[in-house]
Amino acid sequence: MSGESTGEKTIEDWRIRIDEIDLELVKLFNERTQCAIEIGHIKKRLGLEIYSPAREAQVVANVTAANTGPLDAEAIRRLFERVIDEARRIERIEASKEEGSGE
Amino acid sequence: MIIVMEENATEEQIVRVVDSLIKLGFDIHRSTGARYTLLGAVGSRITDPRELELLEGVNKVVRVSAPYKLAARAFKPEGTKIEIGDVTIGGEQVVVMAGPGVVESREQMETIAGRLAKRGVRVLRGGAFRTSDDPYGFQGLGEEGLKLLREVADRHRMLTHSTIFDAAQLPLFARYVDIVQVSERDMRNYALLKEIARLGKPVMLRRGASSTIEETLMAADYVMRCGDHQVIVCERGIRTFETYTRHTLDLSAIPVIKKLSSLPIIVDPSRAMGRRDKVPPMARAAVAAGADGLLIEVHHDPDHALSDGAQSLTLEQFDKLIDQLRLIASAVERSL
Repeated sequence: MSGESTGEKTIEDWRIRIDEIDLELVKLFNERTQCAIEIGHIKKRLGLEIYSPAREAQVVANVTAANTGPLDAEAIRRLFERVIDEARRIERIEASKEEGSGE
Repeated sequence: MIIVMEENATEEQIVRVVDSLIKLGFDIHRSTGARYTLLGAVGSRITDPRELELLEGVNKVVRVSAPYKLAARAFKPEGTKIEIGDVTIGGEQVVVMAGPGVVESREQMETIAGRLAKRGVRVLRGGAFRTSDDPYGFQGLGEEGLKLLREVADRHRMLTHSTIFDAAQLPLFARYVDIVQVSERDMRNYALLKEIARLGKPVMLRRGASSTIEETLMAADYVMRCGDHQVIVCERGIRTFETYTRHTLDLSAIPVIKKLSSLPIIVDPSRAMGRRDKVPPMARAAVAAGADGLLIEVHHDPDHALSDGAQSLTLEQFDKLIDQLRLIASAVERSL
């Protein structure tokens, strides 16, 4: 029980911290997504492809290089692949909205 | 769809596959593993997986969802019920459809229908455009046959069931037939399926003797895509190495189709077995296995039937079968 603890954190305490971090992540994910949406609009205007493999590779390289653990590079890569997948998806949805087809 | 890349696939190859998938309209979930890179392709598009397998660096493509959509159970989890007048196909009641292989005469239809109606049969079958395997055999009465079928069925408060073979017959089927059957040979005649769908009537699609369950449900999707969602699947035997019976009645198709699809499934033991002594056991088994109905050939004088007499039950045999089927239906919590 947390009441009788002598400064050592309990599972409950760690979970509260995780919940705080998660809220922070959600905020950051959405900020990041907003950037992707803006890029999507510009790509659309310039007639560029949504899929930029070179840029995706660069993003993965950036984050794995900056990684100090405890997650290993592969784990960071997999997590960011999901982030990139979602960014690409939302860019695609935004671009198709602009086409005015309504779908 | 999941695309498994080769162990030694290069980044360029992976990029090319991702690019192709995006151009096909998929969203991609990439997962770079220690050895294999997996690409999850998410989207409602149906694509031939073989085309993707041909791309360099691809090890294999695994399809997650079925290639048919409208016929899939997921599209209508509660099941498809087809209501024709006060008869419901795909409901709690097992629907028996019976009658002669072909309409021969008014007397024949009256004799058979009268007896069937007394036993509670609500759907009268009868061919009018028999495309017999025998080019010299009886070819049917044509419109006259359909007219007779309709008149006799109306008199006994029954629905009509007959097989269409040609789009030119559509106006006749619109007029006389309640359940339009598509022969096993025409299951993949997509031009005809499209035309039949325009009738807006219940369509009974016979599974081809060499068609898989998946191909059958894809044919059902073809009709449904054209706007007619009242499709009934009919299992009538498949071709196997066994030659004792005409075909092997694939009873396993019943629970499989029930799980994969929302569509009702009817079993035709007459055509599959080809001889009347083998029909009742398979009819009983079909009801026990969960069929939504049966299509049974019955003739008052099978020895003198103009077509397929050998596979037609006598009226007495049919009477006895119905009694047995009622017992079996109640054992599997259905009525008949």
